[in-house]
Amino acid sequence: MNDMRILERAVSQTDIKISARKVQVYYGEKHALKDVDVDIQDKTVTAFIGPSGCGKSTFLRCLNRMNDTIDSCRVEGRIALDGEDIYDKRVDPVQLRARVGMVFQKPNPFPKSIYDNVAYGPRIHGLARNRTELDEIVEKSLRGAALWNEVKDRLAEPGTGLSGGQQQRLCIARAVATQPEVLLMDEPCSALDPIATSQVEDLIDQLRSEFSVVIVTHSMQQAARVSQKTAFFHLGNLVEFGNTDDIFTRPHDPRTESYISGRIG
Amino acid sequence: MPASWTLLIVLALAAAGFLIGRSRVLAAVGGDSRKLHSRTGYYGWNIALFTAVPALFLIAIWLFAQPDVNRMVLAGVSLVLAGAGLFLSLGRTAPDFRARNAVEAFVRGLLILCSSIAILTTAGIVLSMLFETGHFFTQYPWKEFFFGTTWSPRFGGGSQLGMLPLLWGTLYISMIALAVSIPIGLFAAIYMSEYASPRMRSVAKPLIEVLAGIPTIVYGLFALITVGPLLRDYFAQPLGLGTSGSSVMTAGLVMGIMLIPFVSSLSDDIINAVPQSLRDGALGLGSTKSETVRKVVLPAALPGIVGAILLAASRAIGETMIVVLGAGAAAKMGLNPFEAMTTITVKIVSQLTGDTDFSAPETLVAFALGLTLFVLTLGLNVLALYVVRKYREQYE
Amino acid sequence: MTDATNPAAPVERPSLLVPDARTAKRNAAEARFRAYGLSAIIISLLALVVLLFTIFAGGAGAFRQTFLHVPVTLDAAQLDKKGNGDIEDIKKVMTLTYGKLLDQSVQDLIAKQGITIEGLTDKDVANLVSKEASAQLRNMVLADPSVIGQTVDARVLVNGRVDGYFKGRVTMESAARDSNTSPAQLQLAETLKDKGLLAKEWNWAFLTNPDASDQRPEAAGVGVAILGSLYMMLVVLFLAVPIGVAAAIYLEEFAPKNRLTDIIEVNISNLAAVPSIVFGILGLAAFINFAHLPQSAPIVGGLVLVLMTLPRIIIPARAALKAVPPSIRDAALGVGASKMQSVFHHVLPLATPGILTGVILGLAQALGETAPLLLIGMVAFVKNFPSAPPAGLFDPASALPVQVYNWTQRADPAFMERASGAIIVLLVFLLCMNLFAVFLRRKFERRW
Repeated sequence: MNDMRILERAVSQTDIKISARKVQVYYGEKHALKDVDVDIQDKTVTAFIGPSGCGKSTFLRCLNRMNDTIDSCRVEGRIALDGEDIYDKRVDPVQLRARVGMVFQKPNPFPKSIYDNVAYGPRIHGLARNRTELDEIVEKSLRGAALWNEVKDRLAEPGTGLSGGQQQRLCIARAVATQPEVLLMDEPCSALDPIATSQVEDLIDQLRSEFSVVIVTHSMQQAARVSQKTAFFHLGNLVEFGNTDDIFTRPHDPRTESYISGRIG
Repeated sequence: MPASWTLLIVLALAAAGFLIGRSRVLAAVGGDSRKLHSRTGYYGWNIALFTAVPALFLIAIWLFAQPDVNRMVLAGVSLVLAGAGLFLSLGRTAPDFRARNAVEAFVRGLLILCSSIAILTTAGIVLSMLFETGHFFTQYPWKEFFFGTTWSPRFGGGSQLGMLPLLWGTLYISMIALAVSIPIGLFAAIYMSEYASPRMRSVAKPLIEVLAGIPTIVYGLFALITVGPLLRDYFAQPLGLGTSGSSVMTAGLVMGIMLIPFVSSLSDDIINAVPQSLRDGALGLGSTKSETVRKVVLPAALPGIVGAILLAASRAIGETMIVVLGAGAAAKMGLNPFEAMTTITVKIVSQLTGDTDFSAPETLVAFALGLTLFVLTLGLNVLALYVVRKYREQYE
Repeated sequence: MTDATNPAAPVERPSLLVPDARTAKRNAAEARFRAYGLSAIIISLLALVVLLFTIFAGGAGAFRQTFLHVPVTLDAAQLDKKGNGDIEDIKKVMTLTYGKLLDQSVQDLIAKQGITIEGLTDKDVANLVSKEASAQLRNMVLADPSVIGQTVDARVLVNGRVDGYFKGRVTMESAARDSNTSPAQLQLAETLKDKGLLAKEWNWAFLTNPDASDQRPEAAGVGVAILGSLYMMLVVLFLAVPIGVAAAIYLEEFAPKNRLTDIIEVNISNLAAVPSIVFGILGLAAFINFAHLPQSAPIVGGLVLVLMTLPRIIIPARAALKAVPPSIRDAALGVGASKMQSVFHHVLPLATPGILTGVILGLAQALGETAPLLLIGMVAFVKNFPSAPPAGLFDPASALPVQVYNWTQRADPAFMERASGAIIVLLVFLLCMNLFAVFLRRKFERRW
């Protein structure tokens, strides 16, 4: 049955998952993001890089309308998921966020058990009809986040008791459990040590087979390691967008070159 | 008047000591204040403090312990003490005397004394009540006090002083008050911190807190002249449940209103202490705001909220004026909320006001009731403070 | 890790533009939840409005009282029998004489105006004015003996029932059943009002008069209560504030971290939550039974309130001290100031606005406190003003909130209006104090 669904999806899928055109973001009077055009492909890792305050996280949060929670924030332009404008009045951000999941900078497991953390999304969205199905989803998600073997014997323990890297993978499992199509990651490794970072990076590479992944990172090396596409933001502008290899080896824009060679940032 | 005169003389001595000490050290170094260990003022202060403070303490304590003391004796003794302080400290005054250190040590001692008054107060409360309660239990069996189900004090003797009806009334009214204030206060806090626009919050929050600034006598009067008659005329009488304006319901409702700001501002603090990252996490998974609140924020804040509720309960149990004016005076153990019942605090007031005879068990019982009340609320407070502190540590 | 290639089964989702049934249901739950929150706020605000409205509606009447304007001929033969104008001799004439004079004047007035009312008895006429009116007249004469022998236009209080009639508390029907008034008396009052001789006027006396006995609610005022409350606030101000601030300074700046400090801290936070009536018991046992201080005296009430207010001053004062950044202490210590100097020269001045705010709020709370004062005899009926402090601190007095309680225990419903009126006075004081606290907070917002 699962295979059938994958098949169906493969048929309905277009190559471009999210397309953004002329996106402007304002925080009150401040024009934080100007004229951003990006196409995010399915089954690809797209990295947003740039110095801090350049607008990369802001743009990421536009993609599942997390900016709605900030009162002063205003978004203009068109962002479409599978061809449908996500800022259309008829769109319910709750429904959108179920399809565009998010992982945050600091691991933020809920103060509940590991199981309940992962089962949270499926429960609110009603993805499981019974306990067996829920168990199945939780296990699959934890396996998907490469955490199953570490926690399978202590699912009832609180998620806050895990190490930092495990917590972040738990948060990824939690996001995966909602069965999104796009996974947004806002500097997912910035609070982790190098070993945990490399585990999460391996995981991101595996997630690519199933999702479209968008990752914001302050580390150019990380972008080079995990992504196929890279967008470079600077002072609220999208400076350059292209294949990761091209950006890091043959940047077109002098600002991109300065940044990757460490002169600005 | 001699007390005031003594006071003035002591202060004058201190002022004179200040001036003499200052000029004497200055003279000793030939007017060059750089040769002194401390700045000149400290030498003066040293003398002034040693002159005035011990004498003032003596006057205060003596007057408190024995107000009808012969004022001339008091004046004499305290003046001698002030003079001795002046003489001794003046003798110590020399250019290499560490006047600043002496003054600072003195001030530090005063500060310590002030902060230990809190302990003295608690000790005073416990001792005064323990003493009189012990007195009471020599005249009235403690078993009948704690487990007796009849309260009928008779000043002619033969009183029955069972506490249970009072305890029942106290708990019944408190439960109604909490049943009113917890949902309203909690929902108000949730709305304020999660939904309200900053503008609305800046208006509604202070307005709700006005409720907390209103003295309880005002709530009592409100219960007596508005809520009581209203409940009686529109609920109790048509339903055939009672004919009394004073009732458990009246007192409970009004006390509930009083507790709303208490619950809401404590819960507001606690809900705001839940990290934003948890909310983002839930919203990022596609929760609605109410799902975020119910399934993530509230469970995370639960210990803190429980602490707040315990504090509110302790308030409700110790509240006096609302029940004095709204609950009635009949000691009963009924279930009908439209009946008048009474509480521990009401009976403390009624047994201790008016003509009282401090050797009669009917008066002394108030101290036993007070001690019970103190222990009950202290237990709730200690528990609540502990829970809240543990909760705060979790997110710090 | 091969599992990663086969995560949870994807679910087919409809277009984003069409809400699915489940989302619609969840959004309905969201709307309901939000409505609960909003209604909680509305209920709270409504309670506030109703509470204040009933108190103000019920108490406003205390500030307007019905007065009768009656020409009184102050007969020298009765008031100054020796005719020498000696104030001591005039003082010997009791209120009874003035009462008779006043009765006669009212009778004369009725006759002169040609008012005839069926069933009007002499008693009705005599009782038209307050029992306090003759004392009012006497005080007027004692204040200025030169008026003796003249005919003056006296403005005297009208009986509480008649006053109640004009305030809607008494009706013709209830008057018929009431032995203290009669429909004829009310008709007389109505007629006098039509002739402009009797009117509701602003009543300063409510703020300046002492309490009055059960029979004369119209004369009762909050003068003694205001003074008593003021005296108690003085005691609190002079004892609780220095002690509280000193304790806060010690605990926040100097105290070593040890068991004793811990005990003091836990103690203070618990004391802040001890029911106020327990402090009353302490006051009764310690100050009255043990130290034998006088009952009903502001000094005792003040001391009880001091103990109660202390933790409520210490806690915010510590918070204010804590809010001063450590860099300021370091700066002072760095130039060679002693710890004590750094605190008193730098930290304390910066923390003062915050401490003051806490102090004012603590005082406001103490001002409204009732329960402990009941136990130390402040409920007693006090008609005389206490003398000036410090001696006056030991004279019997009342306090505003206790005066309210006192009046609620009286039989005559006119005292309920008095009680609400006293609450208005109390609330005005509290409002001023709170506004001042808000002003302080705004004016001295943190500068770092």
